[in-house]
Amino acid sequence: MTAPATPAGEAPGPGGGPQHWYTVIWSSAKARIGIVMLAGYVLVAGLAPLIAPYSGTRADFDPLLPSGSTHWLGTTSQGGDIFSQLIYGSRVSLLVGLFGGLLATVISLVIGLIAGYQEGSVADDALSFVTNVALVVPVLPLMIVLISYSDVRGLPLIVGVIGLTSWAGPARAKRSQIITLRNRDFVTAAKFAGEGPLWIIFREIMPNMMSLVAASFVGAATGAIAAEAGLSFLGLGDSASISWGTMLYQADAQGAVSQGLWLWLLVPGLTLALLITALTFINFGIDLISNPHLRED
Amino acid sequence: MKYFLRRIAFFLATLWAAVTLNFIIPRLEPGDPAEVMVRKLSGKDAQLDPAAVKAMRAMLGAPDGNLLRQYVRYLDALAHGDFGLSYTYYPYGVTEVIGHALPWTLALVGTTQVLSFIIGITLGAFAAWRRNSRFDSVVTLGSTFLGALPAFWIALLLLFAFGYTLGWFPTSGGYEDSIPGWNGAFIGDAVIHSILPAVALLVTTSVAWVLGMRNTMVLNLGADYIRLAKAKGLADRDVALRYAARNALLPSVTGFAIALGGLLGGSVLVESIFDYPGMGRLMAEAIGNKDYPLLQTLLLFIVVGVLLANLIADMLYGVLDPRVRRTPA
Amino acid sequence: MSILEVHNLSVRYEPRAHPPLTAVRDVSFDIAEGEFVGLIGESGSGKTTLGTAVLRLLERPGRISAGSIVFDGRDITHLAEDELRPIRWRDLATVFQSSMNALNPVTRIQAQFRDAIEAHSQLRSDAVTALVRQLFEMVLLDPAFLTAYPHELSGGMKQRVNVALALADRPRFVLLDEPTTGLDVVVQRSILDRIRSLQRERGFAVLFISHDIGTVLDISDRILVMYAGRIVESRPAAALLADPLHPYAKGLLGSYGDPRAETVHLTYIPGRPPDLTRDLVGCPFAPRCPERIARCLAEEPPLTPVGAGLVACHVARQQRAPAPGDDRTGVPERTRGFAGPTFVRSGEPAATERGPTILELVNVSRVFQRRRGLTVHRMTAVDDVSFTLARGRIAALVGQSGSGKTTIARLVTGVDRPSSGSIRFHTPDTTVEVEKLRPRSLRRYRRHVQMVFQDPYSSLNPTLTLGYALTRPLQNHLRLGRAAAHARAVDLLETVALTPGERFLNRYPHELSGGQRQRIVIARALAAEPDLIIADEPISSLDVSIRAEILELLHKLVTERDIGVLYITHDLLSARMIADEILVLNGGRLVERGSALDVIRHPADEYTQMLLDAIPNPFGRLSIDTI
Repeated sequence: MTAPATPAGEAPGPGGGPQHWYTVIWSSAKARIGIVMLAGYVLVAGLAPLIAPYSGTRADFDPLLPSGSTHWLGTTSQGGDIFSQLIYGSRVSLLVGLFGGLLATVISLVIGLIAGYQEGSVADDALSFVTNVALVVPVLPLMIVLISYSDVRGLPLIVGVIGLTSWAGPARAKRSQIITLRNRDFVTAAKFAGEGPLWIIFREIMPNMMSLVAASFVGAATGAIAAEAGLSFLGLGDSASISWGTMLYQADAQGAVSQGLWLWLLVPGLTLALLITALTFINFGIDLISNPHLRED
Repeated sequence: MKYFLRRIAFFLATLWAAVTLNFIIPRLEPGDPAEVMVRKLSGKDAQLDPAAVKAMRAMLGAPDGNLLRQYVRYLDALAHGDFGLSYTYYPYGVTEVIGHALPWTLALVGTTQVLSFIIGITLGAFAAWRRNSRFDSVVTLGSTFLGALPAFWIALLLLFAFGYTLGWFPTSGGYEDSIPGWNGAFIGDAVIHSILPAVALLVTTSVAWVLGMRNTMVLNLGADYIRLAKAKGLADRDVALRYAARNALLPSVTGFAIALGGLLGGSVLVESIFDYPGMGRLMAEAIGNKDYPLLQTLLLFIVVGVLLANLIADMLYGVLDPRVRRTPA
Repeated sequence: MSILEVHNLSVRYEPRAHPPLTAVRDVSFDIAEGEFVGLIGESGSGKTTLGTAVLRLLERPGRISAGSIVFDGRDITHLAEDELRPIRWRDLATVFQSSMNALNPVTRIQAQFRDAIEAHSQLRSDAVTALVRQLFEMVLLDPAFLTAYPHELSGGMKQRVNVALALADRPRFVLLDEPTTGLDVVVQRSILDRIRSLQRERGFAVLFISHDIGTVLDISDRILVMYAGRIVESRPAAALLADPLHPYAKGLLGSYGDPRAETVHLTYIPGRPPDLTRDLVGCPFAPRCPERIARCLAEEPPLTPVGAGLVACHVARQQRAPAPGDDRTGVPERTRGFAGPTFVRSGEPAATERGPTILELVNVSRVFQRRRGLTVHRMTAVDDVSFTLARGRIAALVGQSGSGKTTIARLVTGVDRPSSGSIRFHTPDTTVEVEKLRPRSLRRYRRHVQMVFQDPYSSLNPTLTLGYALTRPLQNHLRLGRAAAHARAVDLLETVALTPGERFLNRYPHELSGGQRQRIVIARALAAEPDLIIADEPISSLDVSIRAEILELLHKLVTERDIGVLYITHDLLSARMIADEILVLNGGRLVERGSALDVIRHPADEYTQMLLDAIPNPFGRLSIDTI
């Protein structure tokens, strides 16, 4: 009766039931590393004024100082302190990740849930078509065009555009999951228990898709952080604050590559890459919840 | 056959949606992009061709006239390939400018896409087959980290290391000492120029295939047909390739177009870093100059390109998966 | 001469995230050349693990932790994959339990024979095609399907393909792991009969794994009974049937009966199998055993010869083959049947004055239309069905899958609407036309009509507590307040014998066994105090040994409450046990109806006769032997 991988069968007790989600995530070494790394970034962003020696936007130092005791990573050609910029830059990335990820997740949830619950209806056909179109339209060029029409370049615009352009993949995943969940007997049972559709969606079905929602939030946040960096590198970023993308934009524009200013180039990209790695690692852990086959045994 | 017809219908519908989206975006803006362009172009040349002004209004929106009439005019302009003038490359038209850049991007992005697919799928399949081995850990961890690197940053580092510091590769442009055409000297020159941009794109895009392929194949390895294939005493190679990898490949094929979209996005940044004469660099330039006709048309070309790739991937999927090709009555 | 010898084999699973468990412990048996051996046991007993180990197909985290497997005189326990490959399929072939998915979905059927044949023989090209054609004919398949893809075949056809595939290289040993589970009884029957006759013809040895003791007894020469990872009895089939030794084997046999008998007794084994992650003391079956003596709890009985077989039971051994030093105090008398609880159903239901009609179907049809492009496919799932059900009566709707029985359930509960005809639900005050209900009135209607589902693993929400599952219908339908609903939920739990009820309220479904879950599902259906219950195969996904228990519980609860029940099943035995009347459905049409005993004893329709013949009936054989 039982597949060889899960011999537990009727046996109750510790081997029988599913584990708590946090145990599953924490059981993955990668996820543990990711969580610790992310906590580090959050701490640095929160305590930026305490950690950074100078303001991130201050630019009245001597330009192009090498790394030393007053300027650990040296200064930019416009006289900004690279280390301070790096510390403050973490705030932009984390904020964009948080709000861009949230926005994309909310949009994808609404669209995915409606389409999935009404599978086969006209509403589903329409939403699925929009989703499929949004899925194949390349995200970055679309963002570029949307932002370049606007004269105000602030973080809300970036977050909004990122949210509006990156919900399609997660929406499709949620739609297909809700379709499988909706056909489970417990949903029919809830109807027989006298529940209405909203209650069924949010109280009965949603808790069963939390790992997917969490994974898609982390994925969307990752995408948002990378997109912000790319947009800022093209000069489409928030002009009022400093981010790792704008740091690289300035480094490139000021000829850091040809002049051999490698610290200016290396450090922002590396911190960005490590943050994205941390988020990817966390998602490895979340994936284990829904895909027991991937568990390392 | 029905599957193929359905996919063609989907292609046409998405094509229409993309064209319409392209119509809507500039008209969502509170300002009047067409008017801005006309004014800017008038600064360059007082004798602006009225036909070009008309084309730009069709593309970017006119203050007068109802939307329906504008839409008809827009479709008409598209049908004639009339996209207006480029501010950046005045007096050249957008069509001409893109026409020069298109082959470069096709070559760079097309080659990279195919190479990254092949490399990624092969590594991913191998990692899954040797699951939990050292090779698997190295590939999985390496891919996770490399996948986290922004393509444009890799491009900057490559340019810094191999362009400026070591001097192995040219630092900018698409060619130097040769005359464009189908001759060996030019092609060799172009290939040398495209190596660094291609590597920058390859590094980040192939790892996405690695992880996707590995995870699907690991799931597939638990399937009954794999256990049966092993029980049949088939050679490992056969089980790995003809059973496991063959099936695990299918979801990757459906991701082909989305990956191409990502690659094209990355190429905007990478091309502008290497000053590579493709559509990506055009886009970066168009942003700087607020060259709306060029920007809008580039978006349209990119989207249509991805939709075509999607159609091809769909057709390929139909060939690879008998379940969609032959649905039982 | 044994083709397969297994000595003291143990298999352990050592997953990282869960406690390790010994799924198979110290198992020894052998199979002679050409012998057909059945292996029975319930889910979790380790039979599939044992089969997988014998084939050397165990994967991490499972491993052979002790013992050896000798095939044809050669120890294969630790052979490397390269050394195993030549004997795979040529000597050791298999049909997996979920053979629905055992074929590569993207390759043609023929190619999947070809690689197995070419890997182990010199045959190539046309010779292979000819052989595959022959194999197809052998399992009665149309060779036209050689070039088909798996998804173009029905479940039964796939299964035949798998059987043919297993025999492609003329193996000497074939492991059949529940080869027909999930198929219709009639199809199961024909495939198994074909396997048995091929086995006699070709002389290969078989280890046939199944939880279905009736089928195994019917078809096997010898039976191994497995419980909690151990073999507890090994006997020739006829001997086991006539005189089972181990109480667990008695219990399994007792879960079957002849539905034609005047009085049918079905026994069941209360409790559940032990947790294999813990170290066990004594006999693993002792906690559930009605015959246990003090020694059973302290000392694990070894598998010892008794008569022509082997049994691992202190009591049975002392009854049949007492040893000089035995302390015989407390050893019960020999019995043939299981000395545990029994669900008895006899004769015609007592004094059946029909109550008022509660449900009435008038010329109900349901036609499904599926559009593919321009052509419309019509499929008549329910065809002009009329019947009535009286309050307090249980009607069994019997048929195979595709007979339309589940569609009728959906129509009656308002989940789906009939294409024509009318469904009327009568209460003393009013009559509801179900097909005309709007969503809101449908919700009110469902206070009166509740469901018991087939799969207790999917009908309880894994993220919500049992207390939630039971209190929601009370709050929604009966408008009870929180405290009142809570108290009533405790009552309900105790009604379905989950005591003390308080302790179950905050539990989650995964903490319960399948049988316990099904009790919760029944309690939930009763919560709203309905007038009508639709029970859709409520016991078919449960272990055989507890089916009668759940059936008896359901029967008792609904008769106490004067509820009308539509009991949907493919199984005439359970229909006989619970129902007052039986309605037989075939292809959407009602082909036969009448009182339960009448329909079973005197089937008028050919189809009913076929369903009856498909019931594995070892006792039929027995009665001839013993009379």
